[in-house]
Amino acid sequence: MLIEARNLRKRFGDVEALAGVSFHVKSGEIYGLLGPNGAGKSTTINILCGLVQPDGGEARLNGIDVVRNAVDARRLLGVVPQEVALYSELSARDNLAFFGRLYGLRGADLRARIGVVLEQVSLADRAKEPIERFSGGMLRRLNIAAGILHRPKAVLLDEPTVGLDPQTRASILDLIRSIATDAAILYTTHYLDEAERLCDRIGIIDHGALLVEGTLAELRTAAGEREIVALRGTFKSDAIPAALGLGAEIQLLKSGPDELLFTVTSAERSLSGLLATAGSFGEVREVAVKQPSLENLFIKLTGRELRD
Amino acid sequence: MNALVIACHHLFRIVRSPGLILILLAIPLTLAGIEYAAFGPTVASGRLPPIKVLVLDEDRSFLAGAVPQLFTSGGPLKDTFETLAVPDRAAAQALFQKNDAAALVIVPAGFQQALLDGRRAELQFAPNPLQTFSPQIAESVLSMVTLIGNGLYQQALTPLQRINALKNSGRQPTADEIAEISRGFFEAGRRVNGLSAINNISVTSVRPAGQREGIGASPQAFFAFIFPGLVIFGVMFVSQSLGLRLLRDRTRGLERRVAMAPVSPATQLAGSFLFMIVGLFVILMLLMLVGAAVFRIELRHPPALLLIGAGFSVFAAALHLAIIGIAKDDRSASFIGTGIIMVLALLGGTFIPAEQFPDFLRRVAFVMPNGAAQQAFIDVLAHGRTLAEASTRVGVTWAWALAMLGAALVLSRRRAIA
Ligand SMILES: Nc1ncnc2c1ncn2[C@@H]1O[C@H](COP(=O)(O)OP(=O)(O)OP(=O)(O)O)[C@@H](O)[C@H]1O
Ligand SMILES: [Mg+2]
Repeated sequence: MLIEARNLRKRFGDVEALAGVSFHVKSGEIYGLLGPNGAGKSTTINILCGLVQPDGGEARLNGIDVVRNAVDARRLLGVVPQEVALYSELSARDNLAFFGRLYGLRGADLRARIGVVLEQVSLADRAKEPIERFSGGMLRRLNIAAGILHRPKAVLLDEPTVGLDPQTRASILDLIRSIATDAAILYTTHYLDEAERLCDRIGIIDHGALLVEGTLAELRTAAGEREIVALRGTFKSDAIPAALGLGAEIQLLKSGPDELLFTVTSAERSLSGLLATAGSFGEVREVAVKQPSLENLFIKLTGRELRD
Repeated sequence: MNALVIACHHLFRIVRSPGLILILLAIPLTLAGIEYAAFGPTVASGRLPPIKVLVLDEDRSFLAGAVPQLFTSGGPLKDTFETLAVPDRAAAQALFQKNDAAALVIVPAGFQQALLDGRRAELQFAPNPLQTFSPQIAESVLSMVTLIGNGLYQQALTPLQRINALKNSGRQPTADEIAEISRGFFEAGRRVNGLSAINNISVTSVRPAGQREGIGASPQAFFAFIFPGLVIFGVMFVSQSLGLRLLRDRTRGLERRVAMAPVSPATQLAGSFLFMIVGLFVILMLLMLVGAAVFRIELRHPPALLLIGAGFSVFAAALHLAIIGIAKDDRSASFIGTGIIMVLALLGGTFIPAEQFPDFLRRVAFVMPNGAAQQAFIDVLAHGRTLAEASTRVGVTWAWALAMLGAALVLSRRRAIA
């Protein structure tokens, strides 16, 4: 196993950032860590690259303990941090040259790799310009290039596509797929579609806990054939569940004064009844029906949607 | 190895984007340039501007006409004074008002006659009240020269009186009389032979009491006195600017990114230290070379200069690394840094050389890191002292450097662990 996390725990004051997270990624595999803001994605990555000491658990890269043997472990590793971290007064080429040297690349090998990687991120024609003049998307691409320059065996990418247009995102996903042929990749995101399109296996993380893990197909099955009905408005929620006559057909996922979430075997059959009952206990302003999907699974697992 | 890579990388960034550092480097050069403009190029070429002495000749005699030569005749005094004949006191007064003269020497009517009669001949000396230093030099030189002149005069008094008596009698002297007068002068000349020392008078020997060292002590070294303080002042600000760059790297996540590479915290720290120290050292030495080229400072004892420069570079680098080790952000770091620099500058004698301080403050200045380094530079550049002779101040500089280095390491490590 190239990337291994075993029961990682980390607490920042009152916040439990990680409450026992375990997963592993083998070479050639893209593992997606999917979770909302504050779920613990970056904390996981920071532990794996030795920037943050875990309170408990163990992290290994190719069998090397990242806490006890941090520098050796990091030789195998390429990291693309969540924030763009590059030297703005230097050119793309000079930025890459510095990071390459830190990993021991020198001379002709270094120059060749810089050329290859700049092609991969489509920045070859802007290589000599100070990156102060780069657009946000160009910077994000160079940020990735700096993380993969030294042919790492394990790559950690922390939300590398945030704030990019769809075209650029697509090209970055292609790039990641191409480097995954001989590397283990840990990819964190809060975009469901990216996880679906890119990742071989996906772990859903929230409040520092890995809720479920598997291939896309496995997760779809776990989501069940059930659909999700979301009613929004104002409700006297306490009384509703009893009045609905819940059973196999309709299950209550979450109830609150402004939102009711149900899973149903068939929205077509249950919707009118749900609306009538909910209407008599309050006011329904918005109705949403969702097909079985990763998103539904996420909502089922966490009781909330991914993008809040 | 990676520490070197990191240090070179930071230095390369400076070269690529010198920005503020060029402006900061311009500070000492500009200040020195202003002094250059104020004191004129004569100073830069190694001399103070000449002291102007006015001469009012009310006697209009042959001997009165020789008075200006008391100041300008030959020897090392030749370029120190400049004399100007004025027609009357009003003209002298006008020049005094314009601060265009240091003193007025009046040769009263009857001066030559009094000398020839063997009576007391008086010169009047009036200093320009607007100036302090130059009139004192002029008066000292005048009294010293007249003292020597009086000695010569006393020796030649007998033959002079014979000439005067002959002149009054109105008859031609006999051959015997001429021979006797000549022998008189010859004897006088023999007796005053030892007084050839008159050519050896120098300005240093007439410094007013209590000013044993200082700018006035050696006009040749004027910039060697003021330039080190300005260089050290500039280097402290450059150091702050380099430190703030590193702090900004931290807030922009660049320090973290380097830490994600196979680089230990100690290595990254070593890279930062190396960068700061080498950068400052190079800048300091460049400023010295500029000083030598533009202000004609003679760079004596290069090993001593390098050792002092290295010591102060270590101190300044460590100071600002310690500050960014404890400061929360840019603003607090520059606030703390500027505060410390200003206090050090005032105590260490950046603007007024500490040699000119009252005794107690001078002692304080010489134990300050910048004061010690500055005075060490002055000792070498202006006073021509060797490394061994300046060793106390070099030692003080290095003691500060090592102590501050230790403090910076402790503070930076503590922050890295937290
Ligand atoms: N250095 C820190 N000090 C205090 N709290 C922290 C620190 N780092 C993370 N946390 C907290 O730990 C929790 C997990 O944060 P983390 O950055 O891992 O989330 P994330 O999944 O990466 O979120 P995002 O999608 O917003 O990047 C959050 O509640 C965060 O506030
Ligand atoms: Mg994050």
